[in-house]
Amino acid sequence: MKLLEKIRRYIKISEIAPISRRYFVMNAFDGATTILGIVVGAYVAGITDGFWVMWSGFGATLAMGLSGLAGAYMTEEAELAKRLNTLEKSMLTDLKNSVVGKASRFASLWAGIVDGVSPALAAVACLTPFFLSSRGLFSINIAIQLSVATALSIMFLLGIFLGKISSRNMFFHGMKMLCVGLIITLVFLTLKIIH
Amino acid sequence: MIRRLVLDVLKPHNPSVVELSEALSHLKGIEAVNVIIYEIDQQVENVKIILAGNSIDFEIIKEKLEEMGATIHSVDEVAAGERIVEEVRTPQDRSARI
Repeated sequence: MKLLEKIRRYIKISEIAPISRRYFVMNAFDGATTILGIVVGAYVAGITDGFWVMWSGFGATLAMGLSGLAGAYMTEEAELAKRLNTLEKSMLTDLKNSVVGKASRFASLWAGIVDGVSPALAAVACLTPFFLSSRGLFSINIAIQLSVATALSIMFLLGIFLGKISSRNMFFHGMKMLCVGLIITLVFLTLKIIH
Repeated sequence: MIRRLVLDVLKPHNPSVVELSEALSHLKGIEAVNVIIYEIDQQVENVKIILAGNSIDFEIIKEKLEEMGATIHSVDEVAAGERIVEEVRTPQDRSARI
C-alpha cells in the first residue's frame, strides 16, 4: 500500500480529520497573531534592526512549534489510548497490532505534526519580509508593513477556510478573524501615538 | 479446498464494511464477498461474512480480519470439495420442530 493511501486510511479510521483541522486553524492563527504582536511591538519600540525582529520571531516560532508538537501529541495520545481501551473492552481482544491500533498511534503523531507545523508555517510566512529586508531587498519599514499585511492576510484566509468548512458566509468569517488582527495592530498603534 | 465460508464476526465501526469487504475480496482464492451488518452497538457491530471462492484459506482470512481489528465469533457454515453441497431439509428436521 502506498504511503499516502496508508495515511489517508489511518486518518479515516482514527477520525482525526476534524480534530487536526481545528488544530491547524487554531495554531496557524496563534502563529500569525504572535508574529503580528512581535512586529508591531518592535515598531512601537522603534526598533530599526530587522535581525532583532527576525530572530525574536524565529525564537517564538520554534517555541510554538515544539510546544504544539509535544502538547498535541501527548494530549491526543492519552485521549486516543483511552478510546482504544474502551474499544478493546467491547471487542474483548487486543487491537494494538490491528489497523485500528496503528491508526490510533498514527493519529496522535499526526495531530502533533499539524499542531507544531501550522503555527510555524504562518510565522515563517510573516517573518519572510524581514529576511528579504536583511538581504537588502527593501527597507525595514517596508518589511514591517509587508509582515503585518501577511499576518492579516493569513488571518483572513483562515476565516475564509472556516466559513468554507462550515458552509457559511466565507467573507464574513474572514472579516471576523481579520478583526482580531486589526484590534492588536490598533492597540499598538495607539500606544505608539501615546508613547 | 474450502469453497464457501460463512462467518459471524465482531468488528469496530472503522474500518467500515466497505473497506473490510474490499480487503477480503483481494485475498488469494476469494472470488466473492458478502458482508451483512445485523447488529450495531455503540462501539462495535456484528456482521455476517459470506466468502466464496475456489480455494479459501481460513488462516489467511482470520489473519486479515484480525489485522482489520475484527474477531471471528463463530464459523457458521463451511462448504468444501469439488462442488458446493447446499443444506437440505430432512424429515428429522421437520419432526424436531414439532
